[in-house]
Amino acid sequence: MSTPTVRARRALALGPGLAVLGVILALVAFLSITLGSRDIGLSDVLRALAGLDGSSIEHTVTVEMRVPRTLLGVLVGAALGVAGTVLQGVTRNPLADTGIMGVNSGAAAFVVLAITVLGVRGVNVYIWFAFAGAILATLLVYVIASLGREGATPVKLALAGAAVTAGMGSLTTGIVMTNVDALNELRFWQVGSLAGRYAPILSGVAPFLIAGLIASLACGRALNGLALGEDTARGLGQRVGLTRAAAFAVVAVLAGAATAACGPIVFVGLIVPHLARFICGPDYRWILPYSMLLAPIVLLLADVVGRVVAAPGELQVGVVLGVLGAPVFVGIVRYGRLSEA
Amino acid sequence: MTATATRTSAATAAALRAARRHRAVRAFAATTGLTAAVAALFVLTMMVGSFRLTAQEVVTSVLHLADVPSVDFVVRGLRLPTALSALTVGLALGASGTVFQQLLRNPLASPDFVGITSGASLAAVSGIVLFQVGGLAVCLLALGGAVTAALVMYLLAWRDGVSGYRFILIGIGVAVFFEGLTGYMLIKAELFEARQAMHWLTGSVGQASDQELKLLGGALVVLLPLAVILSRKLRVLELGDDTARALGSRVELTRAALLATAVLLVALAVAVAGPIVFVALVAGPIANRLLGPATGGIVAAALVGALLLLSADLVAVHLLPTALPTGVVTGAVGAPYLLWLLATTNRKGAGG
Amino acid sequence: MSRLRAEGLTLGYDAEPIVRDLDVTILDGKVTAIVGANACGKSTLLRGLARLLRPRQGSVLLDEKAMAGLSTLEVAKVLGLLPQSPLAPDGITVADLVSRGRYPHQGWFRTWNDRDHDAVARALDATGTADLVDRPLRQLSGGQRQRVWIAMALAQDTDLLLLDEPTTYLDINHQVELLRLLRTLNAQAGKTIVAVLHDINLASRYCDHIIAMADGAIVAEGAPSEVITAELVAKVFGLSCVIVPDPIAGTPIIVPAD
Repeated sequence: MSTPTVRARRALALGPGLAVLGVILALVAFLSITLGSRDIGLSDVLRALAGLDGSSIEHTVTVEMRVPRTLLGVLVGAALGVAGTVLQGVTRNPLADTGIMGVNSGAAAFVVLAITVLGVRGVNVYIWFAFAGAILATLLVYVIASLGREGATPVKLALAGAAVTAGMGSLTTGIVMTNVDALNELRFWQVGSLAGRYAPILSGVAPFLIAGLIASLACGRALNGLALGEDTARGLGQRVGLTRAAAFAVVAVLAGAATAACGPIVFVGLIVPHLARFICGPDYRWILPYSMLLAPIVLLLADVVGRVVAAPGELQVGVVLGVLGAPVFVGIVRYGRLSEA
Repeated sequence: MTATATRTSAATAAALRAARRHRAVRAFAATTGLTAAVAALFVLTMMVGSFRLTAQEVVTSVLHLADVPSVDFVVRGLRLPTALSALTVGLALGASGTVFQQLLRNPLASPDFVGITSGASLAAVSGIVLFQVGGLAVCLLALGGAVTAALVMYLLAWRDGVSGYRFILIGIGVAVFFEGLTGYMLIKAELFEARQAMHWLTGSVGQASDQELKLLGGALVVLLPLAVILSRKLRVLELGDDTARALGSRVELTRAALLATAVLLVALAVAVAGPIVFVALVAGPIANRLLGPATGGIVAAALVGALLLLSADLVAVHLLPTALPTGVVTGAVGAPYLLWLLATTNRKGAGG
Repeated sequence: MSRLRAEGLTLGYDAEPIVRDLDVTILDGKVTAIVGANACGKSTLLRGLARLLRPRQGSVLLDEKAMAGLSTLEVAKVLGLLPQSPLAPDGITVADLVSRGRYPHQGWFRTWNDRDHDAVARALDATGTADLVDRPLRQLSGGQRQRVWIAMALAQDTDLLLLDEPTTYLDINHQVELLRLLRTLNAQAGKTIVAVLHDINLASRYCDHIIAMADGAIVAEGAPSEVITAELVAKVFGLSCVIVPDPIAGTPIIVPAD
């Protein structure tokens, strides 16, 4: 029962919480710019950011590598967190993840096809194929799940996603196992990392990510309705089919662009929604912005840790997320009170 | 008045009997059909290849009805182990997957997804990369890894009982943790070991040794009937913990027994063939589609699993220009079928 | 002598107990309603009586034996419970669901016999759900679905039947229909029925005995006409009201005062 007073009290606590998260994100972003395998003093970083001393190596590293990397981390993190939240809301399945909806496998399959069939080389070019593949796969999942009388029910979405993922995965592995060139390129892309993604990639995907993030904030109310079940949502005057389609479009754009830019990054989209729900309770109008801030914090922190721990090399963000993030998550599940939504 | 009541009751009894008979007939037909299909595929995989054989030759050789050295060498020596491996691994994966999904009440809760397979993978990859072991040692390591992962998940999820939801969430957490470590192993490994590990991670039914097959076969003989007997308790557990308890089920004990059975099945399958994805995930839903909704037939799911793996093996080895590990093809073989099933959701709306 | 009673029962989920040191006796062959405000412990009490919740202190006695010492199957043959929001697997048919109520009467290998068959058929008839046997549960209306669940509990064939808020989510017509069904079951099969109910007016009209709870304790119990007073309603629900007699049955009806 959320009486007006309860809701008001919650808003009173959650509003400032959002601001705190914003500050934390800014701090983490700053950390991500200042820390790295190359030791650059704080003053040099600040000078570089201010545009002084444009010729030094410190300037180049900071402005051309770390800043775009950090910005990309923020956008991609937010996109994955929000995409995961929306997907779990629409499918009402706590296991739903952009990976299971065919995003990663579609992107990978298209990268491999672009390499083998069109002879495309270089991350800058094939991110667009990855993007197209991700969107196409998600679309395919949605269309298949919508066939039949009842439309895209959560169960059918999950199964269609699994089927498309498996089919695309087979295609990819099949090609890769017979084409060493493709294997090499794919391996590089499939690492799932913020490393080596510079300004061109950032400017390429940023418009899609930003548009998707803005659109997603409008989904909150609809997701709240869907969380009560299709019938109730319909009873509340919602057009369930339309809502689902719109939510899926948002997921496709966000996860597609993020995956295209950074390769498949797991965990963030799967687990951040649970963290957000843990903090906010069941209201998606709060869960969405919280996911949007929590996810980049988690992603950037993992990225920074990976750079610091393994200096002068670096550890993939995926490895760090798994080894450090998972125990924290398990702890929350075990000792917290997670709502079953 | 009494007469009416009795008549109604008789009509009800008849309707009920008809419903049950209809279900039984459908289950019987589906199971028989699946068994026949599995048997046919089992023989077929041994017929094709560079040295073509007739069905009769294969059957006589397998059953030791006659000894023809050249045929026996090809059948018993080369093709039977692979076919047996596909059959047993498929049965184990199918049965295990459907038990997991019903127990945790989530169609995505296959053992691949909730950390058991990833536990096996981490143990096996560690063995390959750190200690350069192979063969049976990798098999045993994977087995140990899967069982340990399951135990860790169960203990972590225990809080005055194990709720399915908590088990799933802990499971994904544990899976991500193991996958992170596995990824780290692969990065740090020498190229040779990394390639070996990658190959193991793809999953293949072609490499099982005799010992491994005996282990899996023996376990199946015990575990599959056990799963079938326990499945009657699963029917009640599906109605929620409260209802199950009200109906006299010892919920935690039953759940632990079912989990243990399913974990052992999948652990053995992964130990023998590596983490072949997709089979455990779709066998149950496909079987339910054939048997009717919410029937949860474990035998049928096991048969579907075997059918999937046998056909995947057939495609992987014989139909493609270059022979590929089975794990590559399972998706390509299973996905279209699952899609077809989804698209033709029966018009009574009883799909799911 | 009563078949089901509790002595010094303390129940709870976490640190704080919800029901404290409570004695209660369920009258045999009667329809009893447990009423009270939200979170007063009425569902907790029901769950405790049905041994879904282990007592912190005290005990629940079934036929004068401590329930904690009985095997779950023994209890399930005597006492049935319909939880507040039972789960059903996707696509399950009515026949399948109701048949699952026979679980406590089946052994490891003995799966189905004529007695099971008769019990299920009787349960379907009693609840008027016989025409629905082939239908998937999901396609039914809320009222039909609730009757099917009751059929499942009836198929269990127990002398005592406990129901946790069986009328929630039902419209007034279906609420009345359901309570009439409980009355019929009580009258024809002599079942002892205990239900947690929200609507006091309906409880007064259709139940023999009312247990009113507040803050984890019983504040009043007895026949509706004795128990339902303006003071009690004020105490239990914090509502000031006037009690008028039901024009048909003469049972008390609550009318808000202002």
